[in-house]
Amino acid sequence: MSAFPSTAPAVRAPLPRGRRGTELIMLCFALVIVAFAYASVGFGLNGKLPSSLPLYVLGYAVVVFAAHFAVRWLAPWADPLMLPLAALLNGLGIVMLYRLQESGRNGNPGQVISTLSSSATMLQVVYSALGIAVFVGLLALIREPRVLQRYTYTLGTIGLVLLALPALLPDRFSEVPGTGAKIQIAVGGFTVQPEEFAKLLLAVFFAGYLVGKRDVLALAGRRVLGIDLPRARDLGPVLVAWAASLLVLIFESDIGTSALFFGLFIAMLYIATQRTSWLLIGILLFLFGALVTAALFSHVGARFTVWLHPFTRANIYCNPATQLHCVPSYQTVQGLYGLGFGGIFGTGLGHGEPFYTPLVQSDFIVTAFGEELGLVGLMAILLIFGLLVQRGLRAALGVKDPFAKLLAGGLAFVLALQVFVIVGGVTRLIPLTGITTPFLSQGGSSLIASWALVAVLVRVSDTARRPAPQPIQDEGMTQVVRA
Amino acid sequence: MNRALLRLSLACLGMFALLMININYVQAFESNSLASEPANIRIFNQQFTIQRGAIIANGDGTDLKIAESVKNKGTDTYHRVYPFGREYAAVTGYDTIYGKTGIEAAENRYLTGTSTDLGLHNLIGLLSGNQAGSDVILTISPKAQAAAYQALEAMAAQDGGKPAAVVAIQPSTGAILAMASYPTFNPNVLTTTNGAKLNKVDHQLLTAPGNPLLNRAINETWPPGSSFKIVTGSAAFGTKLVANPSTDVLAPTALSLGNGNYLHNDDFEPCADGDPPISVAFYLSCNTAFGRLGMKLTAPVLHSYADGFGFNDPNLQIPMPVSESPWPPVKYNDPAYTALQAIGQYNARETPLQEAMVAATIANHGVLMKPYMVQSIEASHNLATVYSATPSVLSTPINGTVASYMRTLMRGVTQNPSGTAYETAGPPATSIIIAGKTGTAQNGQISAGLVDDDAVFSSFAPAGNGQTPRIAVGVIVQGGGYGADAAAPIAVKIIEAYLGQS
Repeated sequence: MSAFPSTAPAVRAPLPRGRRGTELIMLCFALVIVAFAYASVGFGLNGKLPSSLPLYVLGYAVVVFAAHFAVRWLAPWADPLMLPLAALLNGLGIVMLYRLQESGRNGNPGQVISTLSSSATMLQVVYSALGIAVFVGLLALIREPRVLQRYTYTLGTIGLVLLALPALLPDRFSEVPGTGAKIQIAVGGFTVQPEEFAKLLLAVFFAGYLVGKRDVLALAGRRVLGIDLPRARDLGPVLVAWAASLLVLIFESDIGTSALFFGLFIAMLYIATQRTSWLLIGILLFLFGALVTAALFSHVGARFTVWLHPFTRANIYCNPATQLHCVPSYQTVQGLYGLGFGGIFGTGLGHGEPFYTPLVQSDFIVTAFGEELGLVGLMAILLIFGLLVQRGLRAALGVKDPFAKLLAGGLAFVLALQVFVIVGGVTRLIPLTGITTPFLSQGGSSLIASWALVAVLVRVSDTARRPAPQPIQDEGMTQVVRA
Repeated sequence: MNRALLRLSLACLGMFALLMININYVQAFESNSLASEPANIRIFNQQFTIQRGAIIANGDGTDLKIAESVKNKGTDTYHRVYPFGREYAAVTGYDTIYGKTGIEAAENRYLTGTSTDLGLHNLIGLLSGNQAGSDVILTISPKAQAAAYQALEAMAAQDGGKPAAVVAIQPSTGAILAMASYPTFNPNVLTTTNGAKLNKVDHQLLTAPGNPLLNRAINETWPPGSSFKIVTGSAAFGTKLVANPSTDVLAPTALSLGNGNYLHNDDFEPCADGDPPISVAFYLSCNTAFGRLGMKLTAPVLHSYADGFGFNDPNLQIPMPVSESPWPPVKYNDPAYTALQAIGQYNARETPLQEAMVAATIANHGVLMKPYMVQSIEASHNLATVYSATPSVLSTPINGTVASYMRTLMRGVTQNPSGTAYETAGPPATSIIIAGKTGTAQNGQISAGLVDDDAVFSSFAPAGNGQTPRIAVGVIVQGGGYGADAAAPIAVKIIEAYLGQS
C-alpha cells in the first residue's frame, strides 16, 4: 500500500448512454418509410405525387420530432426503439387510411368507401397529434411509475365505469350502427370508445391491487395433484373480473374487448404470483364462459359459424334481415380474398382492391396491408408489433419496482393479445372479434389509447434504464458500493 | 416475477409465431384456392386489368387484327374491341364479363396470359409490371372471310334472312380459311362491363329470332342430302363395286326398296337412259343410282366410310368444340333405310364444316387433314412464338385413285352442261374450274305452300386436271331450296375471292 494517495484519476465506469441519438436516427428512418409509402400511394393510384404529402407527412414529422425532444427532456433514459416503432405504425396507418380514402375519389380508380369520409386522413393526422400530445403529457405528469400506484382504486373505479357506460346508455348513444355492438359513446357527431381507455386504467388497477395481494395469492392455499390451489376467498377478485368480462360480452356484444380484459387480468395475476394454477383456472374459466355464451347467445355462436364455414354461398350472400338460417360471412371472406389476392409480394400500394372489404379501415385494415404489401409487408408489420411488445417486456424485466414491472408486463402483453385477437380474427386463425388494430385502424380513441400505453412503457423503461446516482466527487480510496 | 415475465414473453412469441405461420398459409399456400371461392370480386375484376391478347387473321400473309383490347381512358382497365364486328363474329365469338365463346373462349388462357405454357414469358411480364395476354394468330383469310360474310348478308337481303353457314378450309393442311354464320351478332355490343346493360343486350340476343349467337358453321347440323353421294361414290369406288367413272350403273326411274316402297329421282324424272355411267348419274344427282349402290354396299360399309370422312366424331376441336355430325347405324341394316341414308335423306346430319371436310378429303387425294384455326400464338412481350400449328392427318378414307375418280365426278357437276350446278358454279358463272356436289335436302318443312328444302353445296377449287386445289367450301342454307341455286353461288364468291379471280 502506498503512503501517498494515488494521483492517477480513478477508473470510473462509463456513464450508461441514454441513446437518444439512436432514437432520432430510427425516427428519421421510420418517417422516411412513411413518406415513401405515402408517395407510393399517389404513384400507385394516379401516377403522381399526392398533393397532400407535404402537409400531412411534414405535419406528422413535426409532431413526432416534438415527441422525441419531449422524451429527451422528460425521459432521457427511455428505450430508444419504442417511440420510432410506434411512430412507424401510426404513420403506416395514416398512409393506408389515405389510400382507402382516395379510392374512387378525385379521379382515382376503385370504389368510394361509403363509410369513410373524404377528410378521414386529415382527422387521423389530427388524432395522431392528439395521441402524441397525450404521450408527452403523460410523460410530464408521471415522472415515476409508482406515482400511479397511489390512485389504484380511483383509476380502477373510473375504468369500470368507462367499461360499463356503453351498456348502461340507450342504444342510440352506444351502438355502433349495423353491428349490434354497444361499445361507444356518441355525442354530437363524435364518438368515443371508452373501452380503449378503460383497458389502461384497469391495468393500473390490477397492478396496484396485485402488488398488495400477491404474497397472499401466491403462498396461501394447498397443493392438490401437484398444483397449488388458491384459497377460496382469494378467488374472489378473479371471479369478479371473469364475471365483468362476461357481462361485457353479453351486454355489449363485444367478444374482443371481453377477451382482452380477461387476458390482461390473468396475465398480470400470473406475473404477480408466478402460480401456474392461476393461469389454468383463468383459461378454463374463459373457455367455459365462451362456450356457454356461444351456446346461449346467437351473436356469439354466429362468430364460430363464420369461422368454421365462411365460404358457403348461403353465408356469403346472407342477409340476416330476411334469412333465418345463415350468418353473414361476406366481410370475412372479402378480407381473406384480399390477402390471397395480394399473395407473397402484394399488389403494391394503390393497385389492390381493398375497398371491396366492408369496414376495411377499422377492423380489417390488416387485410388491406396484406393485399397491397403482400405477405412480406404483413410479416414486417407483425415484426414491428412484436418488437414493440418485446421492448415493453424488456422494460418490465429491467425495472425493479414491482408495481412498474407488473404494469409494463401487463400492458406489453395486452398489446400482443390485441394484435393476436384482431389479426388472428381477420386471417381466420381464431373466430373474428371486432376490435381495433393498435395504431393502424381508423379512430381517435384507439390511437390516443395506444399512445398512452406506449407512454407508460416509455416511462417504465426510463426508470429501468436510469443509472444509479453517480458519486459526485472522486473519493480516492473510499470504495463506493454501487447498487 | 421475472420468471413469470419470461414465460409470458414466450407466450407473446408464440402468438406472433402463430399469426405469422397463419398469414404464410393464407397468402402463400391458400392463395390459389381462395381465388376460386364464390364472390371473389377481385379475381373476377382481374380480367379487365390485363391487356388481353389480340386475335389476328393472317390467312393472306398479312396481319389483320379482328379483336384487340384497348385501354379505357384514365384507368388501368381495358375493354375489348372488334374492328370488324359481325364479319368475324363466328370466328372470334364474344368476350363478356360473364362468359365467352369462339376463339375468345377456346384460347382464353393464352389471351389472358395465364396459360402455364407461357411460364417464362409471364414472369417477364410480371417483373416488368406489364402483364399482358398473348396474341392468337389465325389461319383465317380476310379475303375469303369478307366474301363469305358478304355473300351471306347479300343472300339474306334477297331471301329475308334464312339461317345459313359456310366454312372454307385449305385441303392440304386443314387450315380454316373462312367461317361465317347467319343470322349473326355484333360482338362489340357485349363488351360492356356494366352488368345491367349486358344483361339487357344478352337477353335481347338470346330471345332474338334466328338465334344469332349460335355458330351454325360448327354447332348446327342439317341433313346432307345429295351431297352425301360423294361419300357413297367414294365407297363404291373404294370397294371396287364400281370400277371407274365410266362404269355404268343401274338407275331406274323408280327403285324398289324391297318393302313395297319406291325411291324416285327428283321430280320423278328418269335418270338418263336408266343405265348411265356413274359420272352421269352423279352430275344428274340420280337418287335411284346411288340408293341402289348404297343397298349393295350395305349400311356397315357406308358407316365406316362416313366415319373416315369425319362423321360421328364428338371430340373434334378447331379449337372450338365442333358438334358431332351424326351418321347413326341403320337399324337391322335395313336396305330401304340404307338406300335413303346413301343419298343423305335418312337420319344422318352434318355441320357445314363437315360438308367442307368431305370436299377437302377428295381435293387432298383422299387424306382428311384435321381442321384447325390457330396458326400460332405469340407472347406479347418479346413476340416469341409459344405455339405453332402442325397440320395433322385425321384419317385417310380413300386412296388417291378413288379421290381422282371422285374429282372427275364432282367436276362434272359444274362443267357438264347437264350438271346440277353448271349454271351457278360452272363456266356461265365463273372461269375457275370448281368441283362440287349439290344437295337439296328434304327436311319436311313446308312454308307458304312451297317445300322448304335445305340447300347444300360441297366444293373445292381449282379442280382442273393437274391443278392443286387450294380451297374447299361447305355451304348450307336452311330452307334455301335447290343447292345449286341457293348454296353454290355463295361458294363461288368465296372461291373467287380467295383465288383472286372473278
